[in-house]
Amino acid sequence: MKFIFDLDGTITAQETLPLIASHFQVQAEISELTKETIHGNIPFVESFIRRVHILGKLPVDEISDLLEEVKLHRKVLDFIHENKKDCIIATGNLDCWIEKLVMKIGCEYFTSEAIVENNRVNSIKNILKKELIVKKYQDQGEKVVYIGDGNNDMEAMRISNVAIATGLTHHPANNILPFSDYLIFSEKALCRQLNQLF
Amino acid sequence: MSSIKSVVLSCAGIGSRLGLGQTKALIKIKDKSIIRWQLELLKDVEDIRIVIGYQANDVVKEVLKVRKDVVFVYNHNYFNTKTGASFYLGSQDAREYVIEWDGDLLVHPDDIKKILDTNGEFVCYSDISSDEAVYVQINDNNDVINFSRSSGDYEWTGPVCMKKSKVFYTTGNVFEQIEPNLPIKGMKIRAYDIDTFEDYKRVSEFIKNW
Repeated sequence: MKFIFDLDGTITAQETLPLIASHFQVQAEISELTKETIHGNIPFVESFIRRVHILGKLPVDEISDLLEEVKLHRKVLDFIHENKKDCIIATGNLDCWIEKLVMKIGCEYFTSEAIVENNRVNSIKNILKKELIVKKYQDQGEKVVYIGDGNNDMEAMRISNVAIATGLTHHPANNILPFSDYLIFSEKALCRQLNQLF
Repeated sequence: MSSIKSVVLSCAGIGSRLGLGQTKALIKIKDKSIIRWQLELLKDVEDIRIVIGYQANDVVKEVLKVRKDVVFVYNHNYFNTKTGASFYLGSQDAREYVIEWDGDLLVHPDDIKKILDTNGEFVCYSDISSDEAVYVQINDNNDVINFSRSSGDYEWTGPVCMKKSKVFYTTGNVFEQIEPNLPIKGMKIRAYDIDTFEDYKRVSEFIKNW
């Protein structure tokens, strides 16, 4: 069995892109985009490209240091630490921004990829399709449990063996609910359920 | 309550026989929704699993006003299934024993402790009070030996406690999931379920002194 976690809002207790925007005081440009994306009103890929266009001009090393310190859901983190070899992170976030953070979490991870030049994002090389990660483990004969809350988790949740929609940071995107087996709003209940899945 | 048990609250149905236009968990008795009554009475149960379908978002909102640490379980096929399907879905990934509790069932507070503290499998029944009852027959050992639509000693109201591994999928009713396992220890309780508007009026009267 493999547990694939979305990162933003599921393992982290804050959404990372708004945090970057706030730190560099570009919230006005990004907050509406984030809100509309979470609600499923703007397709994730379009929104992601637009947000990276704004945030990519900011220094990569400073963003990476900022996100390394982002607040995490403690109990979820404990579950990952206790089951490290069976937990995987699948995040649409860029490798250059979150590598320090995911290394700190300590399990395997898959991210979107950027080409960085002069400490700035020059371009997006690859946007992660999370469903491919689910498929990869299913092809190895694993039962896959997917835990996520956003628009870009929908396809991964649709094909996973067990789909858990979470509302730990914000209410989950409505379009993932038809594909969810479970809906959970507390870390305590989530970890209880994850342990009962073994 | 033992940590090897989960409680499955089945709240996915459309409540068609009652005719109040909403799922029964949201119907108010003495100004309090049934789901709120249940959650308050089951406050000491750790693993509460609430099966949702019709008006799922409204049920979620109501539950979150009371407690957040529940697991909501989707029965997306609620229109074509009955409580047996919800029990099965709620039992998947639950603890070793599961107690099925209908979303329209109110159990006397004094009997709830007895239900939660009893080990092993058992079936609860009550004195006959509903308009459209399923009846149970019991033997001299107080075991439930049969369910019937036509006659019996008592009314089948639930809850039932079963080993999770025995709960099979059905589009039908919970008592059909119990039948292959009979006889099972019986437990008489004071419980009222609300299937019709007459039941609704009666229950409001019954719980006046709770």
